[in-house]
Amino acid sequence: MKRLLTATAFLMGTTGIAAAKGDLQLYNWGNYTSPELLEKFKAETGITVTVTDYDSNDTALAKVEAGGSGFDLVVPSANFVQIWVEKGLIDTLDLAKIPNHGNIAPEWKDVVWDMGRTHTVPWQWGTTGIAVNTAVYKGDVNTSAVFLDVPEELKGKINVVPEMNDVLSLALWYVGGEPCTEDTEMLKKARDALIAAKPDWISMDYGVTEKMSNNDWAASVNWNGSTMRVRLANPDVVYGYPKEGYPVWMDSVAVLKDAPNKDNAYAFLNFILVPENAAMISAFARYANGVAGSDAFMPEDMKTAPEVVVPEEFKAAGKFLPTCSPKAQEYYTAIWTELQK
Amino acid sequence: MARSSFSVARLPGFATTAVLVFFALYLPIFTLVAYSFNASQSVAVWGGFSLEWYAKAWDNQQVKDATLRSLIIAVSAALIATTVATMAALGTTRRREFKGQGFIYVMINQPLMVPEIVTAVALLILFGILKTNAAEIGGPIGYFVDTVMNKGLGFIILAHSAFCIPFAYLPIRARLEGMDLSLETAAADLYATPWQTFRRITLPLMAPGIVAGAMLAFVISLDDVVITEFVKGAGQDTLPTYMLGQLRRQLTPEINAISTMLLAVTVVLLTAFFLLTRKKD
Repeated sequence: MKRLLTATAFLMGTTGIAAAKGDLQLYNWGNYTSPELLEKFKAETGITVTVTDYDSNDTALAKVEAGGSGFDLVVPSANFVQIWVEKGLIDTLDLAKIPNHGNIAPEWKDVVWDMGRTHTVPWQWGTTGIAVNTAVYKGDVNTSAVFLDVPEELKGKINVVPEMNDVLSLALWYVGGEPCTEDTEMLKKARDALIAAKPDWISMDYGVTEKMSNNDWAASVNWNGSTMRVRLANPDVVYGYPKEGYPVWMDSVAVLKDAPNKDNAYAFLNFILVPENAAMISAFARYANGVAGSDAFMPEDMKTAPEVVVPEEFKAAGKFLPTCSPKAQEYYTAIWTELQK
Repeated sequence: MARSSFSVARLPGFATTAVLVFFALYLPIFTLVAYSFNASQSVAVWGGFSLEWYAKAWDNQQVKDATLRSLIIAVSAALIATTVATMAALGTTRRREFKGQGFIYVMINQPLMVPEIVTAVALLILFGILKTNAAEIGGPIGYFVDTVMNKGLGFIILAHSAFCIPFAYLPIRARLEGMDLSLETAAADLYATPWQTFRRITLPLMAPGIVAGAMLAFVISLDDVVITEFVKGAGQDTLPTYMLGQLRRQLTPEINAISTMLLAVTVVLLTAFFLLTRKKD
C-alpha cells in the first residue's frame, strides 16, 4: 500500500503544471518555429507556447485523429488541409477573433484548397525548381528540360531530389499533362521522359545544400530555401523556375476542433498575421510568408533574393499540387518504383 | 574434451572478414561522432575543430527538456519492467512444465516479435480512446487519467514498461536457469521462510542478472522513437523524437553532438551490462 502511494506520488511529480490560463500547445514541423517569436508572444500576451515536433503530415494526422492529443494548433501542408477539414478535425475560423485576417496577401487569400482562408492562416510557403551552377551551364535554367532532357554540360552532374510528388508533377507539366491525372497517355509520356533522362542524372538524393556548396553536383531539382543557402555559399548558383509549371507548397496554421485553449489559439493566429512577426518567422525558417507588408521587415539577404521573391514573369507558372485520388496515387507509386530501380 | 571442437574463428579469412564487417558497421557512427566537432555549419564538409555544437546543445532548452524527459521515462520504465520481469522469470523457470507455459512465454516476448509500428499505432488508438473518455467518466478515475497519465508521462511510461519487459526478462531468466535449487532447499531445511529465502539467498544470487536486465531495459527505453512518437502527448518530446522532428529541416552538427552524447551513455551502460553478465568461471 505504502509502495503504491509512493509510486503514485512519484508519477504525479512527473506531471507538468496543469494547463495554466496562459498556455498554448502548438504542433508544428521540427525546427520551424522561431524561439524569438514565442518569446515576443509571451511578452505581449503572457501566454506560454509549447511546441511539439512532427516530421510528416501523415504522423500529425494519425496522432490527432486518434483523439485526446491535447494540441491547439497544427500546421498542415496545402495538399492535406482538405483532408483535415473533411475529417472534421479543424475548426472553421471565427474571423471576428482574427482582426488581422485582412493582412493576408491577396495572392494567398483565395487558394484552391482553402478559399477565402476560412480554415487556415499562412505560415510559410516555397517553391520547387532547379538549382544550376552557371559556371558549368550557361543556358536557360527556367525549364524542366534541364533535368528531363539534360544538356551536354550537365550530363552526369545533375541530381534529382527523391520527392515523388514534386518530381512527377514537374514531369507531367513538362509533357503537357496535369499533376494527379489519371490519363494513362500522359502518365506514360511522363514516365518515359523520366526513365530516358535518368542515365544522365548523377543521383537521386537529398543533401543538395552540402553537395552543391562544394561543387560535387553542378545542378539539382531543389527547394528554393535550400538553393538560397547554396547561393550564399557559392554565388554562381542560380535558381530556375520551370516555365512549363513548378510546384508551390505552403504550410498553414489551423485550430483543432478539440483544442483546450481556443482563445489563446486565436490570439496566436492574430499575432502571426502582423507583418513584423511574419517576417520573424521567415527570418528563422528562411522561407517566404503570406502576409502583406512584411517585406519591409524581412532580413536583408532575403529581401531581394530571387529564390524568395518570385520574379513577375514566372509567377503564373507556379501552382499548388492537388491531393491525388487513390487511383492516381497508385499510378504515381508505380512510376516512382520503376524510376527508382 | 573427447571430440576436436569446430570453431568458426579458425576458418581462413575470419580475422579479415571480422575487421571489414566492424569497419562497415561502425564507419557511419565514427563519421557522425567526428563531424560533431565540425567548426562549420555543414554535416558533411569539414571546416576545422570546434566544440561549439556541444555548447549549443547544452544551451538548447528544448534539448534539455527532452533529455530530462527521456531520462525520467527510461528510469521509471526500467524499474517497472525489471520488477515485472523478475517476477515473471521466477515464475517460469526451474519448475515442472505447466499447461500454458509456452503461451505465457510468447506473451512475455510479444513486443520482440510484433513490428514496432504496429504496437505504436495500437497504443495510439487505445490511449486516444482513454483520453477522450476520461473527461466523460469524470471523478477520480477521470482526473487520474487526465492528469497523471495524459499530462504527466504516465501513458509513455506505461508503453515503455510494456515493451521493455522482454528485454529485462531474458537476462534474468538466463541467470536463474544457471542457478540450481539446492541452496534454496538447504535454506528451507534450516527453517527459513520462503520470503527470507528469497530475500537473502535467491535475490543476491540473481542480482547481476537483474542489474543487467535493468540496464538493458533502460537503454531500450532511452532509444525508442517509433512508439514514443505516436504515444507522446502535447509538449512531451523525448530526445529521439526531438531529433526525428529536426530531420525535415536543415541539419547542423548540433544533431551530431546530441547523437554522440546519447551514444556515449549507451556505450557506457552496455559495457557495464557486458561486464556484469560475463560468467566468472
